[in-house]
Amino acid sequence: MNITFGLSDILLISPLIALFVFSLIPITIKVLRGNVEQSAAATTIEALIGLTLAAGLLIIFGGSGKTAFNGQLVFDGLTQWMGLIAVFSAAGALIMMYENPATKGSQFSELIFLAMNAIVGMLILVSAVDLLIIFIGLELMSLSLYLMIAMSHEQKISKEAAIKYFVLGSFASAIFLYGISFVFGTAGTINLLDLMDNSAQLIATNKLYLFGISFIVIGFCFKVSIAPFHAWTPDVYQGAPTPLTSFMATAVKTASFAAFLRVIATKSLIGSQNLFDVLQWLAVITMTVGNIAAIMQTNFKRTLAYSSISHSGYILIGVITAGISQNSAFSATSVIFYLIGYGLMTLGSFAIISMIEKNENSIVQTENLAGFAKNQPLLALCLTIFLLSLAGLPPTLGFFGKLYLFSSAVNEGLIWLALWGVINSVISVYYYLRPIVMMYMRDGDCDITDDLSYATIVVTVLAAALILILGLASGPLFQMIERSLT
Amino acid sequence: MILSGLIFLPLVFALAICAWPQKNTIRHVALGFSVLEFLFSIAMLQRFDSTTAALQMVEKTAWIERFGISYFIGIDGISLMLVMLTTFLVPIIILASWNSVEEKLKGFFVSLFILQTAMLGTFLAMDAILFYVFWELSLVPMYFMIGIWGGTRRVYATIKFFIFTMSGSILMLLAIIFMMRLTPEVTGGAMSASLLDFYKLQIPFIAGEFFTAQTLLFFAFALAFAIKVPLFPLHTWLPDAHVEAPTPGSVILAGVMLKMGTYGFLRWVLPLFPEATQQYAWIFIALGVIGIIYGALVAMVQPDVKKLVAYSSVSHMGYIIIGLFVMNTYGLNGALYQMLNHGVSTGALFILIGMIYERTHSREISKYGGLASALPIFAIAFVIVTMSSIAVPMTNGFIGEFLILLGAFNYSPWVAALSVTGVVLGAAYMLWMIKRVFFGPAGEIVKNSAHDASHALLDLNIRELAVLAPLIILIFWMGIFPNHFMNYSKASVDYLVKNKMNYTLVINSEAK
Repeated sequence: MNITFGLSDILLISPLIALFVFSLIPITIKVLRGNVEQSAAATTIEALIGLTLAAGLLIIFGGSGKTAFNGQLVFDGLTQWMGLIAVFSAAGALIMMYENPATKGSQFSELIFLAMNAIVGMLILVSAVDLLIIFIGLELMSLSLYLMIAMSHEQKISKEAAIKYFVLGSFASAIFLYGISFVFGTAGTINLLDLMDNSAQLIATNKLYLFGISFIVIGFCFKVSIAPFHAWTPDVYQGAPTPLTSFMATAVKTASFAAFLRVIATKSLIGSQNLFDVLQWLAVITMTVGNIAAIMQTNFKRTLAYSSISHSGYILIGVITAGISQNSAFSATSVIFYLIGYGLMTLGSFAIISMIEKNENSIVQTENLAGFAKNQPLLALCLTIFLLSLAGLPPTLGFFGKLYLFSSAVNEGLIWLALWGVINSVISVYYYLRPIVMMYMRDGDCDITDDLSYATIVVTVLAAALILILGLASGPLFQMIERSLT
Repeated sequence: MILSGLIFLPLVFALAICAWPQKNTIRHVALGFSVLEFLFSIAMLQRFDSTTAALQMVEKTAWIERFGISYFIGIDGISLMLVMLTTFLVPIIILASWNSVEEKLKGFFVSLFILQTAMLGTFLAMDAILFYVFWELSLVPMYFMIGIWGGTRRVYATIKFFIFTMSGSILMLLAIIFMMRLTPEVTGGAMSASLLDFYKLQIPFIAGEFFTAQTLLFFAFALAFAIKVPLFPLHTWLPDAHVEAPTPGSVILAGVMLKMGTYGFLRWVLPLFPEATQQYAWIFIALGVIGIIYGALVAMVQPDVKKLVAYSSVSHMGYIIIGLFVMNTYGLNGALYQMLNHGVSTGALFILIGMIYERTHSREISKYGGLASALPIFAIAFVIVTMSSIAVPMTNGFIGEFLILLGAFNYSPWVAALSVTGVVLGAAYMLWMIKRVFFGPAGEIVKNSAHDASHALLDLNIRELAVLAPLIILIFWMGIFPNHFMNYSKASVDYLVKNKMNYTLVINSEAK
């Protein structure tokens, strides 16, 4: 193999380089000053500049369809959109970290360093076309996250979450790697594009290949919390500091789904009908388990964690259709579109929780929201928009996301999946309405903490506005995404 | 632009009210806005051409081109009167709630105006997704209205209302998506969500076979509308919602939102799935008959006046369903007319109950008695509205029920015979209630008012008379000159009956 790389490769990965360079600035300053941190605001601003730069570079160089490093990384429409969703939702989470009591404080520059590197991992994940590179991206992202959760100021619960996440995450990584070894052993290559050509024949002749592919799929299912591999999600989401939960639920999930989608949508790689049948059942189980369990929760964060599981189920419908469909760009578009909406509404809901938390150990039960509408009418309205959007009510982005997702499923004849999807939407309404009831129909004294600047509020309001605006302008956005994918 | 203006003007009002600085004039402003909207709809009525069944004042702009979804609105004889009913009831509601809604006024009027936008949009949308958007949008403000300004069990009632309605409509969404997938047959390649393209579809149907496209789609749509109507046995959310809702909420719910369900049958189900409708009409007629009798019997034993009226709604909506599904000129005309009648008379009943509740804070029938001597004018108004509700000749209710029964008789004398028992039962429970509340020996409340000056009962004031006068005038006007109203819908209904097996609508862009 002839290994060369040149300027074009560097330009393509420039977003990653930018992120890494900017991640170094705060800790370098800390070291130079003799272990004294610069102000948290400065750190956040540097990080945001880095993210903006990365987003800009991704827009300029990202969508050309070129590959870097001998076809290890590809920069096409999928990379660009998924990368942008991950970067922007991560930016929202960073702003929350700046203001949340559990994350701000003495080790803030280290936290930001880790967060930025997690985002580098995400960008590797969304652009990788080689199974091993996917693994590297996954690990860079996950390892940073384990540390981020463990180093927060919360007491026991977040340490427990970090350990849980670490053990189960490593387990998933091991399975994933194990799968790769089987694929390499049977096919002799782990590049997705090379695998495409001879996988049909391999599936027919070699059961071990199928074994490997199934393990890879299971590894992804862990990462995006598809039932029955979802058990870590509620505990970790609840235990982690809220900004990190938001980071995991939006950016991490988007990046993992991007790689998952790329693997599944690589035609004929998974030519096994059985595997698709199993995935369909997993989607149904995930939606149902997530929603039913969410109904029974009293902790608001845990409710949202289960809601995030059920949304993974909806998104999996789109991923499956992208794998089956002849026109996978259409289904992939609906997945990306859904993830945009999902990112905005999840980010917004967690931002509100983050603002309500008084100190690093406060727990927000759903009933604690009583009286929020009286004290914070604007934010209560925003949370209402987020919840109605999560429930899929028009004219929000969540509704159009579901509309496109289910249309793509119906187009491929997967009507029963769409049926389960809509039935689950009704079930979910019950627990999405409960916080609204608390905010508007019960008396209480829920309010945001006093020592906030306006950054998180701006993020929240912006997310709510985008949900309404992009909802009404969803047609052009959808076409834009679809054009970039074909 | 007329119809767009009609739909979105209330939304603009809602925003204006958000920004209105003075708290004490907010009611006046809201009333002014709603009257303006009503005048605007009158102006629209002047331009309406009642001689044609074609769609008028059409506006069509591409919205989500990739899926053939457009912003497509238009009006014809079927939707015209419901639009008028909506714009007519809102100012009345605002005037009626002058004293009853005290807190969070801004939020209340914002909800009311958003609700008005959603309801008008539902009646005027000619694109399936647009229709669905407005249909679901109407849930949210109603949810807040019941939940914030409602009675003691308001949270239970409002969640039940929301989930019941949504569980029906979500299947409709799936059905819409499925039909959009079929449209390339008639549009020549592109997907479309336009109702006119849906009308052109020949959806496969096999008689007697349940699992065919048309039958399944028929039931998916019918379920959504049947829950909204509500048809027995899907009615259980209605009494809860009505009892807990504040007066304005009850009036809107009974007056307009239930009509969204019957309108849905008329606009979507009957023309889109003609074969399935014919085959399964008997189910709906049977449920309608059961609803009539069941609603009347349950109403009879209610101790709470508002609950009594709520169950009478179940009974009355049964008539409308029968009128729709017998699918003949009498039935359809009667059903359409009865939609308006029910809106006016049940709306008026809820307003009257609200007025007496403001005075006594009780809706228990057993606590009343002898009220006619204490509140003579109120008693007269109540009796007139009751006459309309039980379809006494000269009132609007008579025309509607008579036409429906005529239609039912043409379909099957048995249906007519069974439905007619509802008229008798209706007269029984309403008159019995009147007797217990207004006549007979003075009850607890009237006695208290005589002894204690703080409980003194005051008869209707000018504002309340102004609320009731238009409704009572309308009751007689519609009862004596039904043609003034029916002429508007005649062409459309005749056209629907004549072409029920292959219904299509044409667009008539020139209005008079």
